[in-house]
Amino acid sequence: MPIGVWRASLSGLAIALVPSTAAVAHEIVGNRFFPATLGIDDPGVNDELSIPTVSSSNTGDDPSFRQRDFSAEYSKRITDAFAISVGTTYSRLRAPGGPNGLGADGFQNLDTTFKYRVFKNEEHEFVMSVGLDVEWGGTGAARVGADPFNTYTPTLFFGKGLGDLPDTLSWIRPVAITGQVGYAIPGRNSTTAFAIDPDSSASTFDTEFHPQVLNWGGTLQYSMPYLKSAVVDLGLPDFFNHLIPLVEATLQTPVVNTMTSGTVTTGTVNPGIIWVGNTFQVAVEALVPINRQSGTNVGAIAQLHFYLDDIDPHGIGKPIFGNAVQPASPFPGN
Amino acid sequence: MRSSTILGIIPLVLLLAMGEATAHAFLDHAEPRVGNTVATAPHEVTLWFTQKLEPAFSRITVSNAAGKRVDVGKARVSGNQMSIVLRATGPGAYHVTWHVLSTDTHTTDGNFSFNVSP
Repeated sequence: MPIGVWRASLSGLAIALVPSTAAVAHEIVGNRFFPATLGIDDPGVNDELSIPTVSSSNTGDDPSFRQRDFSAEYSKRITDAFAISVGTTYSRLRAPGGPNGLGADGFQNLDTTFKYRVFKNEEHEFVMSVGLDVEWGGTGAARVGADPFNTYTPTLFFGKGLGDLPDTLSWIRPVAITGQVGYAIPGRNSTTAFAIDPDSSASTFDTEFHPQVLNWGGTLQYSMPYLKSAVVDLGLPDFFNHLIPLVEATLQTPVVNTMTSGTVTTGTVNPGIIWVGNTFQVAVEALVPINRQSGTNVGAIAQLHFYLDDIDPHGIGKPIFGNAVQPASPFPGN
Repeated sequence: MRSSTILGIIPLVLLLAMGEATAHAFLDHAEPRVGNTVATAPHEVTLWFTQKLEPAFSRITVSNAAGKRVDVGKARVSGNQMSIVLRATGPGAYHVTWHVLSTDTHTTDGNFSFNVSP
């Protein structure tokens, strides 16, 4: 059976639960630079562009198949604290080890995120934002699992750097954690498919219930740039001073309307590394499934990400309303 | 979208990013070096940043372990470098706090410590 048909007949749970586009955003809070992470979105808002994000993994469906995604996302600040991002993903589905040409290709649904930074404390390197993600149903291809209905996901984002720890714990100061908790609400409770049994000619129907899903996750990061500029300059080669090793976790737990999806939490734990430059960053992570339902092998994801606010601060990288940065005033003294 | 199309976009975007970058000014290195111990008390502290600075909006303060300011006069800014003179100091821990505005109007803050050995 061609995978395209096969996909349409599946519950689609695995694909439906995977974020359709990679996360973007980077944020600066006092000493702390929160890089754009690949699995979950970051706690801040900014002007930025992720292109491309590429990933490859075997899905948790039974039987499993190989999924390769190519994604792009653009985020634009409307004001200094409010941004809108638009993302798209092109998926290629193939049977692992199967012949070329047997499978399905197509775009996932378009994705839009409205995000507002509600709180930022530079002294404690803490930032929090709220957002609403809308996956526009019917804009993608059903053969790769795109739903024909919208999904709305209100989400809370936070980030905390440990730079306010005492001197006795100075080596832990480069650590930061970020997290997000979202609640995905499908615009449709269920989908029923009717068919005629070719043997008995009897009509049959199959109902798939679309669960409401808790999307949650976090990152644990160790910032080498922070170590060098705020804790201790070890005299390392410059390349190492741009690295941020991290571990991400992206998890999905169906919580309501779970009759056909079940309630098993799926997701991946992603160890990886980010190289941070002045105007762009490069990131690579492994995708380690947490259980059989999350995937059958260790995949990989990589991303090239541009800081548009740094590349063109007075043009495309400037908020539509307001200044490129908050107004400054000359300091007294000094 | 073909992957070749995506790959074709990369050089264009890289060209954009590799242009005359302005960007946030982050601390590149300092003298005395961040978190290090020096044998003799320095006469000044110098910071090098990743971008050029706006002198009118950039500053450094240096305090001793008791929290008392030991910097003297105004910070001197030249390009991506900023320095401040210190009064005569003795052994102990010193805390440097900086706040700078890069020439493209991005502000950044930071702080670090260094030690003077007895």
